Amino acid sequence: MIKHYDLIVVGAGPAGLSAAIKAANCGMHVIVFDENQRPGGQLFKQIHKFFGSKEHKAKIRGIRIGEELLAEAEKAGVEVSLNSIVLGLYNLKGVSVMRNNQVEHFRGENVIIATGASENVVPFEGWTTPGVIGAGAAQTMMNLHGVMPGKRILMVGTGNVGLVVSFQLLQAGCEVAAVIDAAPRVGGYGVHAAKVARTGVPFYLSHTVVKAEGGDHVTGVTIAEVDSHFKPIPGTEKHFDVDTVCMAVGLSPMSQLTRMAGCKMIDNGGAVPEKNEYGETSIPGVFVAGDVAGIEEASSAMITGRIAALGAAGRSGFISDAEFTKQYEACVNSLNQLRQGMFCKANKGRTDILTTDEGYPLSMSLLTKGYMTEEELAKFTNLNAHQTGVHPVIECTQNIPCNPCQEACKFGCISVGTNITNLPGVVAESKCTGCGMCVANCPGQAIFLVNEDTGDGFATITLPYEFLPTPQAGEKGTALNRSGAAVCEAEVVSVRTNKSFDHTMLLTIKVPKAYAAEARFYKPEKEGK
Amino acid sequence: MRIEQHPILDTFEKGRQVRFTYDGRELTGYEGEPIAEALHAAGVMVHRYTTKKHEPRGMFCAIGRCTDCVMIVNGKSNIRTCITPLEEGMVVETQYGNSSREDAQK
Repeated sequence: MIKHYDLIVVGAGPAGLSAAIKAANCGMHVIVFDENQRPGGQLFKQIHKFFGSKEHKAKIRGIRIGEELLAEAEKAGVEVSLNSIVLGLYNLKGVSVMRNNQVEHFRGENVIIATGASENVVPFEGWTTPGVIGAGAAQTMMNLHGVMPGKRILMVGTGNVGLVVSFQLLQAGCEVAAVIDAAPRVGGYGVHAAKVARTGVPFYLSHTVVKAEGGDHVTGVTIAEVDSHFKPIPGTEKHFDVDTVCMAVGLSPMSQLTRMAGCKMIDNGGAVPEKNEYGETSIPGVFVAGDVAGIEEASSAMITGRIAALGAAGRSGFISDAEFTKQYEACVNSLNQLRQGMFCKANKGRTDILTTDEGYPLSMSLLTKGYMTEEELAKFTNLNAHQTGVHPVIECTQNIPCNPCQEACKFGCISVGTNITNLPGVVAESKCTGCGMCVANCPGQAIFLVNEDTGDGFATITLPYEFLPTPQAGEKGTALNRSGAAVCEAEVVSVRTNKSFDHTMLLTIKVPKAYAAEARFYKPEKEGK
Repeated sequence: MRIEQHPILDTFEKGRQVRFTYDGRELTGYEGEPIAEALHAAGVMVHRYTTKKHEPRGMFCAIGRCTDCVMIVNGKSNIRTCITPLEEGMVVETQYGNSSREDAQK
């Protein structure tokens, strides 16, 4: 018995679920197959706040977006079949699925393949030793199952995955010995690097792993600087005692099904099917969405999922031409907002970008060490209006698609403008009330409220804080600078929590006023975060 | 090593505590969590030894793709422990090549 559907979606991650929801809301009879026990793909491991604008669900943690998608899918009447391995995609969109150790056959009027990506590895001596893991594995262990990947970890890769997972490792109570990358520049957002660096994690750019040491499990790792051909330079070796080496060296599309189906393949950071503007492959009615069509991130995967669903709905007559055009254009507009700025695909690997779109000189320290120098920051005159009293200081200096700070401030203190990759600007004549919404909502944790002179020789700094134990008002600890170096004693003035902050604490510390521009993180007296 | 408290995640959904054996040693884990996670929490790093070179392998991808973490579970070899839910009384053994016996390889 072959069961028929208007649309079969393969993969219940952000792209697949978004596609299924959109299609079901167009009136299509939809089923989603996923080989995993739980739906959501990798979303339930993403405990950080997302970038983008409100329509991209910016400032919401990936896990909550996952919950929202599941609720929407249920409401839309989408059938999600878990523990269901799609074995094959054949002529006329026949889909073979293994469920409960039995192979069942389905046929879709349309098929959307949203199988995502798998992690890349780079081989080095000892790379198969237990304790060398993928960054995704680290996320799975710590964020899904509550198991620490290791006690002390070396992170390989400074793309957003490497940076975000490094921060999450710190949140899970692990120590990150260093973050390294063979490339000469930090590959991910500077704000992600900065929040790792200010906790004291060193960055080694132009460095690669020479060897993971240990017999039955990793006991240490040796890294070395590389020359311009990525070859280790003898004499530059550095050793770290670690029990885990975590690899975040990119993703490859899992496009096997599209190849099997006979879709025409091209190279786009790995073999991906050729597709038109709706994600339709060379086989009519077979669409791709999300990372399988080319590596991006979850926010754009959700949109490309909706676009593919519109394509399928349009093709099968479930949506009027006018409605199709309206919704498609909205999706494209939303997608284009994310595909701009310094880190967009067209700029990947470029090292010749020296200024922001606004003409400010990019921080080379941020790109090579993970943190900015005060001199570099001072050139961004848009980010600090130096008002008296409490005021926002924004340390967001790269053109990335993100604008929750503008949305967060109800008093008009922060302006990004209509293009969300613009740098934010502090509006000098506005009045900051010190509410801290900007601090809590910035997904890059790049906004601080600073009172440069409280009148008694001190300054206060309010910073986003997502570590345990929760600091207590009155306790004393150490203020760290952007590189994570101790600069002075700090007293905790207050710790604010709020449901809308979603677990980001607003920690206000008091430091001698000479350190107002330097102190950016707090380390409690007692060890442990 | 379990995470006792987490600044963002309030709780980790866990099944009831169950007992299982690893190479004859009694360990505890939570019902429904992947076998590999229970093992990792108990400090077990080596899941198998490769057939030809007798090299150790452990969990690598944790999502069922790489097959480095396969072990012998209830007598059945090549079980991907990172995606197989733990059950009470499971018998989990290190896999040597394709066998549970170290000498079978020699």
